[in-house]
Amino acid sequence: MFGTQARGEVSHEFQPPLMQYWRPNIYTRRANIVVKFQDLYGFTVEGNVDDVNVLNEVREKVRQQGRVWWALEANKGANWYLQPQISSLSEGIGVAALKLSALANSITLKKLIRKGIPPVLRPKVWFSVSGAAKKRSTVPESYYNDLIKAVEGKVTPATKQIDHDLPRTFPGHPWFDTQEGRAALRRVLVGYSFRDCHVGYCQGLNYVAALLLLVMKTEEDAFWMLAVLLENVLVNDCYTDNLSGCHVEQRVFKDLLSKKCPRIAAHLEAMEFDVSLVATEWFLCLFSKSLPSETTMRVWDVLFYDGAKVLFHVALAIFKMNEEELLMTSQIGDVINILQRSTHHLYDPDDLLTVAFDKIGSMTSTTITKQRKKQEPAVMAELDQRLRRLNSLKMDDKPDSPRE
Amino acid sequence: MANSRNKNINAKLVLLGDVGAGKSSLVLRFVKGQFVDFQESTIGAAFFSQTLAVNDATIKFEIWDTAGQERYHSLAPMYYRGAAAAVVVYDTTNQASFACAKKWVTELQEQGNTNIVMALAGNKSDLLDSRKVTAEEAQVYAQENGLFFMETSAKTAQNVNEIFHEIAKRLPRAQPPQNPSGMVLMERPPVNGTSSSCCS
Repeated sequence: MFGTQARGEVSHEFQPPLMQYWRPNIYTRRANIVVKFQDLYGFTVEGNVDDVNVLNEVREKVRQQGRVWWALEANKGANWYLQPQISSLSEGIGVAALKLSALANSITLKKLIRKGIPPVLRPKVWFSVSGAAKKRSTVPESYYNDLIKAVEGKVTPATKQIDHDLPRTFPGHPWFDTQEGRAALRRVLVGYSFRDCHVGYCQGLNYVAALLLLVMKTEEDAFWMLAVLLENVLVNDCYTDNLSGCHVEQRVFKDLLSKKCPRIAAHLEAMEFDVSLVATEWFLCLFSKSLPSETTMRVWDVLFYDGAKVLFHVALAIFKMNEEELLMTSQIGDVINILQRSTHHLYDPDDLLTVAFDKIGSMTSTTITKQRKKQEPAVMAELDQRLRRLNSLKMDDKPDSPRE
Repeated sequence: MANSRNKNINAKLVLLGDVGAGKSSLVLRFVKGQFVDFQESTIGAAFFSQTLAVNDATIKFEIWDTAGQERYHSLAPMYYRGAAAAVVVYDTTNQASFACAKKWVTELQEQGNTNIVMALAGNKSDLLDSRKVTAEEAQVYAQENGLFFMETSAKTAQNVNEIFHEIAKRLPRAQPPQNPSGMVLMERPPVNGTSSSCCS
């Protein structure tokens, strides 16, 4: 299953466990025992029988969606969702018809992506709709291999931190516990740390890159997905220096929560519970440490198509789905337990995505961009003030070398 | 369970320290009695709670285990704001982590709650052969700065419960109300006397 293969080639392949495997019998149903099994991406899931049933239903829905995608491929061609090359066509009626069909395709695609990309098509569709393919096409074919060769053996604060985190990234996962898995993850992270020295390496990216590897199958594609994510999809400076982008997103999120879920926001504020306490990790790891892997992948399906606003939709939905329970809390521990239990058991991605997109209401990327612009000065002032305060303190024990 | 004479105190506790010093491992040992060789790296912070009975009071620790990487330090104020206690952790086999611990102590002294109970934990004390920071050096520093110091090992459990017990003993008994006025306080007894939870 995890054979040694050439760098950049398909290095792992997860076989989904057989359905019969999980189907609980009447006795387990009654006993409500905890069942342990591996999910589609090799993660160990611990759940009760209800969770297993939900997962089975979800798996069935995924299969049905797969049939829709295959039918479309058969009908419109394998790459029907790729951006059409209008310029290469003859003028006149051809162009108009193509524009119309492109529009129809994009509406179909949006709907289909919300319902989930079949796992087999995920690498190809992500690569295309995220813009990774385009980014990849602007550099020489050998870019990734050259980069990896050039940085081999180099030691920087980033590579040290990466080495420290490799065994701490999804420990217990069957592929990331192997040398090949860790080596592949290392190359992607180290390669990226040299591509963008402002980001270098930020803890959290290890989880993101790990999931990208599991989905994309090849290191190089995972690398380009990471690049497009950090450079185009997410807000700038999410992972750099003092995480200023992340601070901005958190402020925007707090504002949105007050608007979209005012009762929860008011209740938590009265408890002096800062929602960033839980939401920071969601935004930095893109839910990969909180949601079941298959649900995370469904969120990422939409993220790569619709952009970073999806993170707000999903984060708001998690609060919204637990509104009544959250309003009963009086201690921060209870708030965290409710959110944690809820996220860990969100085995049905449609439950989450329905709330995220149908109940939260629409938010355009433009609105979010405006909100960010509004929050940026305050974040910068706050970070700057903190830095100046700390610098003014007597620092007798400054480390000799840069810490990162 | 606390009897009616006992005080119930909720105490926010924050763990700060360099990356890989063993903050999460200390918490895992304290809260669950477990140790794993490779603890998942913490992003943002993880929350745990643990209840301790000390002398006349029951202390419920609400623990924030923070991420160690330097760029995450800008998030720290959110976690240490209003904290009753802090455990600043360094790795006894890593001199740079001790320097980092001192920076945290300075920041807490300047920015934290003025009555904060601070502990300095020299972790990984089981790794005798690779020790870089002596207990004496840390002890002197701790005394000068009004912290109490213990060498700990999350791996062998040495001094882990002790350090949290010591904090519990030192917490001021007259706690200012933790909830803003107007809140309805619902005292729910913890299930099984000791409750623990974590958020990874």
